[in-house]
Amino acid sequence: MPKRREKFERTWPLHVMIWPAAVVTFIFAYLPMAGLVMAFQDFKPHLGVWNSPFVGLEHFRFMFSYPDSKQVIINTLIIAGLKILFGLLVPFIFAIFLNEVRLMLFKRVVQTLVYLPHFISWVILGAILTDMLGSHGIVNQTLTALGLEPIFWLGDGNWFRFTVVVSDIWQNFGFNTIVFLAALAGVNPALYEAAEVDGANRWKQTWYVTIPAMLPITVVVGTLSLGNILNAGFDQIFNLYNPLVYDKGDIIDTFVYRTAILNGQFSFGTAVGMFKSVVGLVLIFVAYRLAYRYAGYRIF
Amino acid sequence: MRVWLILLISLVLVGGLAACTGKDAGNGTDTDPAQVGGSSNWANAFEEGRFDPPLTLTTVVGLDPNAAIFKQGETIEDNVHTRLVKERLGIDIKYEWVVTNTNDAYKTKLRLMLSSGEKMPDVVRFRGDLETVNMLIDSGQFMPVDELIERYAGEEYKNGLALDPAIWYPITRDGKKMALPILDYAYNDDHVLWIREDWLEQLNLEAPTTIEEMEAVMEAFIANDMAGNGQTLGLATGFKNGFSTWMTNIGFLFGAYGTMPGQWNLMEDGTLALGSIQPEAKEALAKLREWMEKGYISQDSALFDEVQGAELFTSGKAGMIVGPNWMPGWPFPDLKANVPTAKYKAYPLPYGPDGHRGAAGGKPPVNGYLFINKEMEHPEAVFMYYNFFYEHFANPAPGSEFEHGFAEGYDYAILPDGTVIRDNETAKSYPELFPGVDLNNPLPNPLFYTLTFEGARIPTLYAETLVRLADGAEPVTPYEKIESTSRLPENIHAMKVVMELKDDVYKNYYLGPITETMESKNELLNKLLNEAYNKIIYGQAPLDEFDKMVENWLKSGGEQITKEVNEWYEQLN
Repeated sequence: MPKRREKFERTWPLHVMIWPAAVVTFIFAYLPMAGLVMAFQDFKPHLGVWNSPFVGLEHFRFMFSYPDSKQVIINTLIIAGLKILFGLLVPFIFAIFLNEVRLMLFKRVVQTLVYLPHFISWVILGAILTDMLGSHGIVNQTLTALGLEPIFWLGDGNWFRFTVVVSDIWQNFGFNTIVFLAALAGVNPALYEAAEVDGANRWKQTWYVTIPAMLPITVVVGTLSLGNILNAGFDQIFNLYNPLVYDKGDIIDTFVYRTAILNGQFSFGTAVGMFKSVVGLVLIFVAYRLAYRYAGYRIF
Repeated sequence: MRVWLILLISLVLVGGLAACTGKDAGNGTDTDPAQVGGSSNWANAFEEGRFDPPLTLTTVVGLDPNAAIFKQGETIEDNVHTRLVKERLGIDIKYEWVVTNTNDAYKTKLRLMLSSGEKMPDVVRFRGDLETVNMLIDSGQFMPVDELIERYAGEEYKNGLALDPAIWYPITRDGKKMALPILDYAYNDDHVLWIREDWLEQLNLEAPTTIEEMEAVMEAFIANDMAGNGQTLGLATGFKNGFSTWMTNIGFLFGAYGTMPGQWNLMEDGTLALGSIQPEAKEALAKLREWMEKGYISQDSALFDEVQGAELFTSGKAGMIVGPNWMPGWPFPDLKANVPTAKYKAYPLPYGPDGHRGAAGGKPPVNGYLFINKEMEHPEAVFMYYNFFYEHFANPAPGSEFEHGFAEGYDYAILPDGTVIRDNETAKSYPELFPGVDLNNPLPNPLFYTLTFEGARIPTLYAETLVRLADGAEPVTPYEKIESTSRLPENIHAMKVVMELKDDVYKNYYLGPITETMESKNELLNKLLNEAYNKIIYGQAPLDEFDKMVENWLKSGGEQITKEVNEWYEQLN
């Protein structure tokens, strides 16, 4: 007990600092979870949460019996899966390349530039892309000039998925690049020196020193992003999609927007949201156990 | 140490809770003693035209951008409008809360009030989706207005209400009218065909009157590459949001074949049916597919909403566009900016092979509602207010008190030579006439502060005035003078075309609430329709996909919805 008190006397400022965050998280992330009760009700706004009748698992049953559900879930998994995979791979490789750059100024400028698109709203990006990828947009004009057939980027299902994944990576890979670069900055230079003494060339150094050093942080980033396997990016798809690509591009969130928000089925929307969260939680949990067992890495 | 921690947590939590409840208490106890005490004095207020002492009328407001412009020192709670109403009518308007109406903040707050069962103020105004209108009525907090209208409504308001019985459809419950419609100008949403007049002149072509002639004109525009870069289009359209939209309308093509998609049309047997699944729609789709193939319309039409679609016209690429009469005000100035030599003119929509024509239109002239709390003791106050604005502002006579506007130094000022200034650009030369006004913004217009959004509007006034002006009449009344100077001649002429088309419109006959089956099936059914329509137009599916879609639509709930819609329609008559 005395030992513990001593420790507390040293660390109390940290406690004070964490409490506001904990309280805010509790109020804004945990209290609203009480609203999940709507998923089991036939919620009517004028009756409120207290007076709406309970209907059990009706909305979950409806979700899985809905003719389009399967297609929508598959679309979500494919688009989100590709985004997670390339969202890890692209910054991983990019960070290694950038780390080899010796000119500090160039490195910093590139780092900032690739991070910038992260801050542009999809409402704006959507309009820009619609224009650039249109039938007479700059991309198709280039293709035609090169003697290639123009591509209906946003109106052909498969190209739509491609466009969505590529534009998402373009927008977001800067963030993970920074995370990876931070990890690389922490690598002990002695390792490289030792490798050099052992006669390892640049490539071998990357293979045997850099990449192993990046693995733990890659596992962390990968594990955390697995929770997004059912989040294929509402604002992006919503701003780009159209009826022509419903069969390949309609995802859970856009589907919920049309059913729950446009038609006022709030309970159904809550049920789908809950389903997504539960799947995400389970995946994070499983991935975490796997990472711990096979990579020996713990986040918490 | 534990005790200390627990104390801290509970302090923070209690603090938070207290902050929440404190706010609620403030909102809840907002009843005015004067209203309870002095009611006996006010028995004859309507006849006297004034409440003495002033009656407190509570309400809530979401400030739209045009209403959020104030003179320095004024707010929505205290301004020239509230003072005028208090002085002339003895009505003291009190706002229980005020929000800036971005991202539907007002609607959200209203809905929150409803779902938490809070007591509503005396008057609630709402302009927007029927969903919220239904929720307000379902709350049971508002009174029917049938008798009140009989007793208190002014003549102009009554005349407006009598224009179209459909005004009442969305807010009628068990034969009772549950809100006061806020009237707006009629025919303002109806469509005309806009054509690049300079292109017609250059090619020496007549304006088309049928779909066939229209195709010939589009063909000629493209063959002669009128836009000049090989990108000429016949018609600017965008159907991302549907096939009968408020601008860049393509519904007129369906109208030419005798139906209108996305709405409930009255059939020959007196029943209602969805236009999207009629055989006539298939013919129109075949034509649209042909237009897409021939390049009359943009390959990107399915990706464009109304505004993006209209850019095809304003960028100077397309030769035609279908839209409302006011397009010369916006967005056509962009066309003039991009192509200074461009000229455009409104024409009637073309006839189809069987002599049909027209787009969706004939909407009842309503834009929003006033809901009156059933516990309000003097609902006549609301009528006194609305009547006052009808009398003085809707169409003021020359020389009357408000002929130039609401208040000098706010929305207008008069120069020594008698010229009236009504816009902030001119006003910048005379800042001393507008003390406390920020002339970088539009001038503050107190009419926008009113409970009824724009004061009071006589539905037929706008169309009638423009038609008269188009026929060369001299503007006499202040309203005519303002319209003749602020509207472009193309706009004034377009209204004449609209009136020529006024019997050739497809009215949506279903104006009731969302039915039970719609609630659960709408998404699925709309997706079926939209997917099939788009794929047919783009040639990604054969034309006969249409029949499969119709069959699918009927058996996936469409049949049930048709039944519910017709039940609603029958109980009206």
